[in-house]
Amino acid sequence: MSPPSLPGAAWLTALAGLPKMGPARLLAISLVYEPAEAWQAVATGQVLRRPELVERMGPSPQVVAEGWQRAAARVDVEATWADHADISVAARGDAAYPAALVDDLEPPAVVFTRGAPVLDGTPRVAVVGTRRCTRYGFDVAGELGRELAAAGMQVVSGLALGIDGAAHQGALDAAAAPPVAVVGSGVDVVYPQRHRRLWEQIAAAGSILSECPLGTPPEAWRFPARNRIIAALADAVVVVESAGSGGSMYTVEEALARDRPVLAVPGSVQSRASAGTNKLLAEGAGVVRDANDVLAAMGLPQRPRRRARKDAAPRAGPAGAVLRALRAGPGTLDSLTSATGLALGPLSVAVAELEAAGWVSRHGLWLERTKPAR
Amino acid sequence: MSKLAVVSSATVLGVEGRAVRVEVHVGQGLPAFTIVGLPDAACREARDRVRAAIATSGLSWPLQRITVNLAPSSLRKVGGGLDLAIAIGVLVADDKVGAAAVTGMGFVGELGLDGTVQPVAGTVPLVDALDADVVVVARDSAEEARLVDRHVVRPVSTLTELVKALKGEEPWPEHPRPASPPGPPPVPDLTDVRGQPVARHALELAAAGGHNLLFVGPPGAGKTMLAQRLPGILPPLTPEEALLTTRVHSAAGLIRPGFGLVAAPPFRAPHHSSSMVSLVGGGTATMRPGELSLAAGGVLFLDELGEFQPSALDALRQPIEEGCVRVSRARATITLPARFLLVAAMNPCPCGQGGPGECTCTDTARLRYRRRLSAPLLDRFDLRVDVARPDVDELLRGRGGEPSATVRERVLAARARAAARGVTSNARLPAERLETEAPLTPGALTMIETSLRQGRLSARGLARIRRVALTVADLAGLEGPLRAEEIGQALALRQDPMPLDRAVA
Repeated sequence: MSPPSLPGAAWLTALAGLPKMGPARLLAISLVYEPAEAWQAVATGQVLRRPELVERMGPSPQVVAEGWQRAAARVDVEATWADHADISVAARGDAAYPAALVDDLEPPAVVFTRGAPVLDGTPRVAVVGTRRCTRYGFDVAGELGRELAAAGMQVVSGLALGIDGAAHQGALDAAAAPPVAVVGSGVDVVYPQRHRRLWEQIAAAGSILSECPLGTPPEAWRFPARNRIIAALADAVVVVESAGSGGSMYTVEEALARDRPVLAVPGSVQSRASAGTNKLLAEGAGVVRDANDVLAAMGLPQRPRRRARKDAAPRAGPAGAVLRALRAGPGTLDSLTSATGLALGPLSVAVAELEAAGWVSRHGLWLERTKPAR
Repeated sequence: MSKLAVVSSATVLGVEGRAVRVEVHVGQGLPAFTIVGLPDAACREARDRVRAAIATSGLSWPLQRITVNLAPSSLRKVGGGLDLAIAIGVLVADDKVGAAAVTGMGFVGELGLDGTVQPVAGTVPLVDALDADVVVVARDSAEEARLVDRHVVRPVSTLTELVKALKGEEPWPEHPRPASPPGPPPVPDLTDVRGQPVARHALELAAAGGHNLLFVGPPGAGKTMLAQRLPGILPPLTPEEALLTTRVHSAAGLIRPGFGLVAAPPFRAPHHSSSMVSLVGGGTATMRPGELSLAAGGVLFLDELGEFQPSALDALRQPIEEGCVRVSRARATITLPARFLLVAAMNPCPCGQGGPGECTCTDTARLRYRRRLSAPLLDRFDLRVDVARPDVDELLRGRGGEPSATVRERVLAARARAAARGVTSNARLPAERLETEAPLTPGALTMIETSLRQGRLSARGLARIRRVALTVADLAGLEGPLRAEEIGQALALRQDPMPLDRAVA
């Protein structure tokens, strides 16, 4: 047996790596036993003698307990602990455990952090949304991330494709308050692969948090659980774009359960990607037009509004007609031909010019209205 | 006492006929009937068909040792087309028919057990290969045989009829030509297409410039309907092209009895489960032409492009560039014609919705779908067009679009301008001649430069853009250097329909 000199976090790390060990079960076990005892109890199957644990172990506790016992027999706690030497592992009650999670409704029993620890006393804003966003959502998320970080907010998100990634990237670009990513896999398991670079940048500039030990693969059930940590960490939750149902809506529920203000970015009523956010607004969520709206909702001083730049977007001629037609949402050449009444020749020249100037961006055969980069 | 007869016939390989000398020796020995000279199974079975046909035609079978040699013996003989020649050879060697009567004659046809003469696939190439003044074919093959227009064609319906004519007992049977060969089925007209101006325009450009076209759009948007209307606006086949197309269709056995020349551009739409061999050809002993060759001179339409086997799609690349398929099999290496206009259709992603924020596919599913379309193949589509579901108002109340006939006139005018440059279509204009044939205005040059610098255009795409822009100008009847309008259109119609990534800013 391993020497009892190991810290509590080591036992919890080993426990968290067992199959079918969700956050709720791990928390329950950690509340009943001391960490080292907990491992002992799980490894010997004694957990079945505690009715308060059995009721959390699903319809067939016997099977779950046996699975734990079998898996535990193959785990070398000391070696597992040694593997985690390079990252910060904090059990609930440790000094390194994020203060915002200590008194949470469902606090993770143990938190793994890569990069800097989450700052205490710095306000945090979650910027979340769908993976399948429109250009509009992508741009707004990036801008919010940038401005909120510049205003000293830690931007919290889930490192997913789409809105999450854009928000993180914006926060990184501001090079101000460090971003916080909460992920559903081990902090060493990059998911999605396309965010490998972003992942490394956040680890270097901010923190990547997870309640899963190293090497945990990204399983679908872990993502809603991850979302509750996002909601718990954040002082306010901003949804940029979301369909009527999905992960972001789960984050919203978790935020409401924790009395965190929920804000949403309005979108076109015809856009499916804004169906969820518009619904939130209809139900009374705060409106987010820019970072100042978020700061106001949190009762923080607003940043001086940048003087409204004169919108230099072309208004006249074919280019203006194209931009007006794209106001309602993305379009194709075909839809633009009928919306603007232009012939294909002048239309394509206008599109090419707008694209070159950054007023229009292309997604496959679709065109979307954007704002030129500053 | 032994007798020899020599009769000419032919066999088919790919889309070419090869002359075959049928030598029949009737000599002493136990009664036997053997065929030598590399016959395939169907050809070897000629023994039984010929014997039965001669017997049922009321002629006597020589009870002697009969040897049939099919020369040249190195060439594989395929199918039943040699039946008639073998039967005549036996009759000549047996002195039932005078040897003089068959000199300068060629025979192509399969025999039924009752002595009827049946048509065979590949009559056009077969007859073309015959070095004879007179060719005897089945009655239903007469129209095909006459297309070669080098021989006196003698259609016969039975062996008896033929023997009597050869002996001079009766005149050659007169089979009246079908009064009016049933015309080809009407080609669907563009006027049925409501709205969809860009897709219509792309069709016109494809027809005028010979540019390959890719339709991307959700199911039910009318991609197939549009593609089917392309043959109707293509220029008619020239007599040589028509004969080549007919030859291919004849070799594939696709010409229905009574139909002669394939004069309209063909439209072939192989299903996405088609194998590579069925597309490329050469799968059978006759090296039957595949769909690529059958579409020669017309349109090859690949619906659900992403569902085709990757190997089948890769096999398309060389024919698209060279206009022919070179097929090497164990038996032979042949070249098949394959100068077609490629039109393909696919959904933007597995769920088919495609638009930003609309698609419900998982990311991996999108990626997997996109990867099915290799970059080299995508590069060969000069025109990539989004086809949206037509507007309901337009569908119900809109007026029909321009009819095919009007569009075709513009296409013909554009093709005439391409012909003045010495090419059949702008797509085949060599890159080195673009500087002289498709000069650019300063405005066009600026647009190209911006696109190149911003990475929206590759150096490889540049030549293709200019050819398409030239077609745009040709269709509009414009003279002089290409303007930004033409280049802009060409650029707008050549975008990657499914970029692999929405890059993080």
